[in-house]
Amino acid sequence: MIGRTSRSAIGMLAPATGLIAIFVFVPMALTIGLSFTQWSTQTGFDTARFVGLANFADLFGPTSIGRDFRAAFTNTALYTALSVALILPLSVILGLMVHQTFAPGGIVLRTVLFSTYMVPMIAVALVWSKLYSPTEGPFNQMLGWVGIPPQTWLSSPNTALFSIVLLNVWQQVGYFTVLAVAGLTQIPTTLYEAARVDGASAWLQFWKITLPLMRNTLLFSAVIAVINAVQVFEPVALITQGGPVNSTNVMTYHIRRVGIERAQGGLGSAMAVTLMLSLIVVIVLLFAFFRDREEQR
Amino acid sequence: MSSTKRPYRRYPANWKSSLLSLAILVIAVAAAFPLVWMVLSSLKTPAESMQVPPVWLPGSPNFDAYFEVSEVVSLGRSFLNSAFIALVTTIAIVVTSLMAGYAFAKYSFAGRDWLFAALIATMFLPPIVTLIPLYRMTGYLGINANLLGVVVPHLANAFGIFLMRQYIKGVPNDLIDAARVDGASEVTILFKIVAPAVMPAIAALTLFAFVYHWNSYLWPLTVLQGNTDQYPIVISLSRLLSYNRGAMNTGLVMAGATLAVLPPVVLFVFLQRFFVDSIMATGVKG
Repeated sequence: MIGRTSRSAIGMLAPATGLIAIFVFVPMALTIGLSFTQWSTQTGFDTARFVGLANFADLFGPTSIGRDFRAAFTNTALYTALSVALILPLSVILGLMVHQTFAPGGIVLRTVLFSTYMVPMIAVALVWSKLYSPTEGPFNQMLGWVGIPPQTWLSSPNTALFSIVLLNVWQQVGYFTVLAVAGLTQIPTTLYEAARVDGASAWLQFWKITLPLMRNTLLFSAVIAVINAVQVFEPVALITQGGPVNSTNVMTYHIRRVGIERAQGGLGSAMAVTLMLSLIVVIVLLFAFFRDREEQR
Repeated sequence: MSSTKRPYRRYPANWKSSLLSLAILVIAVAAAFPLVWMVLSSLKTPAESMQVPPVWLPGSPNFDAYFEVSEVVSLGRSFLNSAFIALVTTIAIVVTSLMAGYAFAKYSFAGRDWLFAALIATMFLPPIVTLIPLYRMTGYLGINANLLGVVVPHLANAFGIFLMRQYIKGVPNDLIDAARVDGASEVTILFKIVAPAVMPAIAALTLFAFVYHWNSYLWPLTVLQGNTDQYPIVISLSRLLSYNRGAMNTGLVMAGATLAVLPPVVLFVFLQRFFVDSIMATGVKG
């Protein structure tokens, strides 16, 4: 029986694990290996020439390679931080609106928000590039109605990255709202009943019951939001091409440009490795931050 | 937990609930605005879409832009390419995930938990990290610059395995043991007993996989290497932007965007319960 089960286990696992091994683990190991080489993406792996840490020295050195990389890295960090800082609180507020049993409309809101999550990023980018248009776009017109002067949106280095953050938040927030609702349904209603008996205000209930008990949901949301944010590509590739003045040149766009378009496979791999290590650090910090909160209570 | 099983709500009629409903309505309208504007713009004449200040409603709604899209890009071909990519990956992901999810949920073998953890870790790996060697690997395998190269690396993924394992754990062991005593093979048990028991999870995974691969842009753009015959709709769409750039043909771009948005959004509106339930299952227990 044990023999039969382990044979079946191998058969059942082979397709999925085999595919993931070949198309995720092997390229991941190759990325790490190639990051120590000088290699043209247009040629075979056997042409890669070991150069030690030279690529990493370039990335953190004073040349234009290092400057462009650090700009892309900073832009991605800023973009990620802004996205998470907007998405998390918004998803809790919208989640409360969807979850409440107090007023009708919650399910409609959830449907609208989640529909935007289904829209291909490429279509989002195209539509928003027109919404942002300084002349024929409706955003500046609407701002004009309430007396706010027209904004430069995508055309100024000061506002372009933030404009792409807004576009991203609009597309993604529905997914995180559903996650927040999932977290809210896990909180026992008896806690709120007890709090009401004790005369706790709605505000106090939110800070003392809702938020602490959503810790795991918020951690999960934060991790997913970070992973999603570093993948931003379409709006940059399509609308801004990294500009104006490098202000929207983000990691995914930069790595692809260097590693595929310029065929500098070793250098691009070193960038990818740096991105991966940074992500691991951020995720470990997020876990530490949320675990700290748990111990304080 | 499912939205359809929620008990009937009786809303109190007072000013507080009315105010909240109004707020919800305003947010919903604001969130829907970009999509509404997209559809409205696709029905405008070129002159209307370039007007300053912008006109919100098309004066005489027409579908000219939609016909023009099919002249600029081979729309039918792009749709078929997208359908091929989304359908092949989806079917394969469902089958491979069912099999692996069953093994992880119902077998015990040496190293199971380690293997599972290693697979789950790949869920958190952004695709850009493996893009460069993967691009070269498809060259070695002779599947670059065509649709096979788009689909082959995506026939299995960790999210599907995770989702299936979560649901299959809930299938009673007695049911599986009884079938084994009756002499059913493991494959028969999986597809005749386990799979029907986890249909909501299969529906959810089907929709997630379909939407993800219908919408995906970075990998097809990279592996297809400019072979426009093989472009899915989302990449063909980006070609509309460069076409006739001087005139900024907004209506054309919006018509293309509307066409690309329709399949995933329509699918979602009809089947949203499965999406929501599966997010609940993965988000809460994960």
